Amino acid sequence: MSGVAGKELRIVGFLCNWCSYGGADTAGVARFKQPTDLRIIRVPCSGRVDPLFVVKALLTGADGVLVSGCHPRDCHYTDGNFYARRRLEMLKRLLPFIGIDEKRFHYTWVSASEGQKWQQVVTDFTNQVHKLGPMHAKKESEG
Amino acid sequence: MNNAEQIKETIARIFPDVETVICYQQGFDGLHATPYFISIPEQVNKLIWNPLCAQNLTSYLPSIKKKVGIVVKGCDSRTIIQYLQEGLIDRAKVVIIGVPCTGVISVKKVLREIGHQPVVDVVFDDNGNIVVKTQKGEKRLAIADVCPDKCTTCQYPTPLVYDHLIGEPIASNKPKEDVYKDIREFDAKTLEEKRAYWEKEFERCIRCYACRNACPMCICQDSCIAETREPHWISQRLSLQEKFMFHMIHAAHLAGRCVECGECERVCPMDIPVAKLKKKINAEMKELFNYETGVNPDDKPPMYTFNVDEAKIKEHKL
Amino acid sequence: MSDTGYLPKEKIKDFLKELAKDAVVYAPCLEGDIVLFRPFSEERTLCLDRPANTPPKSVIYPQSETLFAFQYKKAPEDHQKMSVELKADIGVPNMVIFGARPCDAKGFRIYDRVFIETNTPDPYYRKRRENTLIVTLSCAAPSPGCFCVAVGGGPAHKEGSDVMMTELEGGYVIEPVTEKGRAILGKHVIEDGKPYLKDAQHVQAKAHDEVRNPFAPDELPKISQSLFNFDGFWEQVVGKCVSCGACTYLCPTCYCFNITDEQGIGSGERVRSWDACMFFHFTLEASGHNPRPTKFQRFKNRVGHKFIYYPEKYEGVIACCGCGRCIRYCPVNVDISEIVNYLKDTHQELHWASSRKEGTQPTVGSTKDE
Repeated sequence: MSGVAGKELRIVGFLCNWCSYGGADTAGVARFKQPTDLRIIRVPCSGRVDPLFVVKALLTGADGVLVSGCHPRDCHYTDGNFYARRRLEMLKRLLPFIGIDEKRFHYTWVSASEGQKWQQVVTDFTNQVHKLGPMHAKKESEG
Repeated sequence: MNNAEQIKETIARIFPDVETVICYQQGFDGLHATPYFISIPEQVNKLIWNPLCAQNLTSYLPSIKKKVGIVVKGCDSRTIIQYLQEGLIDRAKVVIIGVPCTGVISVKKVLREIGHQPVVDVVFDDNGNIVVKTQKGEKRLAIADVCPDKCTTCQYPTPLVYDHLIGEPIASNKPKEDVYKDIREFDAKTLEEKRAYWEKEFERCIRCYACRNACPMCICQDSCIAETREPHWISQRLSLQEKFMFHMIHAAHLAGRCVECGECERVCPMDIPVAKLKKKINAEMKELFNYETGVNPDDKPPMYTFNVDEAKIKEHKL
Repeated sequence: MSDTGYLPKEKIKDFLKELAKDAVVYAPCLEGDIVLFRPFSEERTLCLDRPANTPPKSVIYPQSETLFAFQYKKAPEDHQKMSVELKADIGVPNMVIFGARPCDAKGFRIYDRVFIETNTPDPYYRKRRENTLIVTLSCAAPSPGCFCVAVGGGPAHKEGSDVMMTELEGGYVIEPVTEKGRAILGKHVIEDGKPYLKDAQHVQAKAHDEVRNPFAPDELPKISQSLFNFDGFWEQVVGKCVSCGACTYLCPTCYCFNITDEQGIGSGERVRSWDACMFFHFTLEASGHNPRPTKFQRFKNRVGHKFIYYPEKYEGVIACCGCGRCIRYCPVNVDISEIVNYLKDTHQELHWASSRKEGTQPTVGSTKDE
């Protein structure tokens, strides 16, 4: 069941292995209640996230995309998230230009210990995407 | 002495030093100029220089291993600087003949004006006009009215880097704040309008990849992920989604690298305004990092670097 | 009833509507500043005064088509066992291509030899071809770069068309070419065209004289093998090529294709899509070896296919219809007619050799050009 009333949407999450994936794990172990719209893809580092992953997801069926990595200065690979920050900010500003609501995409930093924060991020982002509704309304039947 | 004669003379002078010189010659009709590779000085007599010489010849540089001379306009010189930033060419192997430019001509715009008639003759008068003769008559057009969009906000009419300069440098008379005006105007539309606009434009794409292959900064060429099967970014289906994705790949890979030469748009046989996406990203690069592509060889493209504390990037709240 | 019809200009929309009753009518329509073949409807703007930017080839030979869909099925009794279910559907509606140019129509004849007149006809192509009526508009004047008369065509060449229309001041003279095309004369907006036939023939003859023939005085160009096989030649003439697919995708006679399986999870489609010999991937082999790694070799193949290999296989027919699109829309103005013209002359090899700087080794084949 979705944490938000109504139909579950498709949200893709790219989580870095060292912090945010751990954070999501912490939230799970602590049994924090979270909406279930999010599908998590584990990546080595937020620096691994090509902005085109996000574009591809949004164009091919995702209603929202969440990227989460280690906090700045806290990257497992020292500076992967610094690069990510620049790229993802570029993308965030490009999306409205091609007619995609930038609210469908969010990037943030969650550490492995921040289970509570993770719960908050997922809940808030899922709510935000639900407010916008499905992105591919017409294609829903095609799966 | 006009520019063409001066260019010819300069080429003759640099010759034993370079193996090839890239310049322009007359294309298949009077309205088209085409790249011309000279390998012996005698070939120089076919060289032309006029506002139809719009193509950015620097695209050929990274693939040429021998020492080469090249004719560049102000806008083209930005490509060379970007190449130098990224270490794609060896400056010592390029002899740059810079020509200050007062604006080139968009063949597409001229064709629109003359109703796509075959051209009989083309001449330039002294008042900045192009006179195009067709079977149906003669049309006199101000070059400023048929120039590519990039010329209307050109900041660098004089090459930023050169070994030989033809004529006197020209200063830009276009206000700097207008450079991204068109982008701001487009961005002011609603999301639905923008989405519909791009879907309509990209729907025409035939995926000939002319925009990519003509792009001086698209250096992956044969290894482009638009065509590889592994990874499989785009399928061979002809859906809008695939076309959209391809153009996003092109734009994203040029983030902070696009020199706004407009080649992608000039070569598109389907008249898709593909340069707009890249220009939007450039506008953001300017805003975020106060960075402008291809103006300083010592700069680093913004996506190749970072600051620990980014002055302009604020954390986004949900 | 007369053999010739006449369609007054003001009735052209009625005519298209009549055709659209039992067929999808593809007509050249204005989109922004370019002309494309689109399913015609009231809100579109018909544009017949210049050839469309793209030929109508995709109507009969789509840029990408699903040959069949497949789905993997697990056997209920043994999950190790998989079977594949295939589904193919060649449902094609009746179609009309209206306002093609004679070169465009001739292009379909090039395909017919490959896809239909062979031991293993292609069912997809054949079905579309059979279901399509081609109504061609003869050219009143040449377009930039075109040269149909030099490759066995002409501004009123009828090969490949079902109906030939010729524009006069007040309307179009309609000449059926095939039995299939004859039915057009029965449409009720069509008047008797006999009184106009002479005028139409005059227009056609005049246009014929105006089209340039880069290969004159030859009837058809004959290519010198020695120059064709001289690497230095290609390096000189296509050094500027950027190796994109604009020429091939806009060509009414290019038919090379690629077949790929586009897979999802447990299901997918086998897709046939246009390929372009100018792409590096065109000849890339699974081993990683590429027999045509440079653009010079690729362009040589393009010219060879059209002017040597195809004619050898199909009784001297040149696989180029001279529409001029590859010249008009080439990003860098590579002119195939100019190149073929060079190739005609057996004695040019020395000229090409001497135009290169002395002591410079040809680099064709030895380095990658990109």
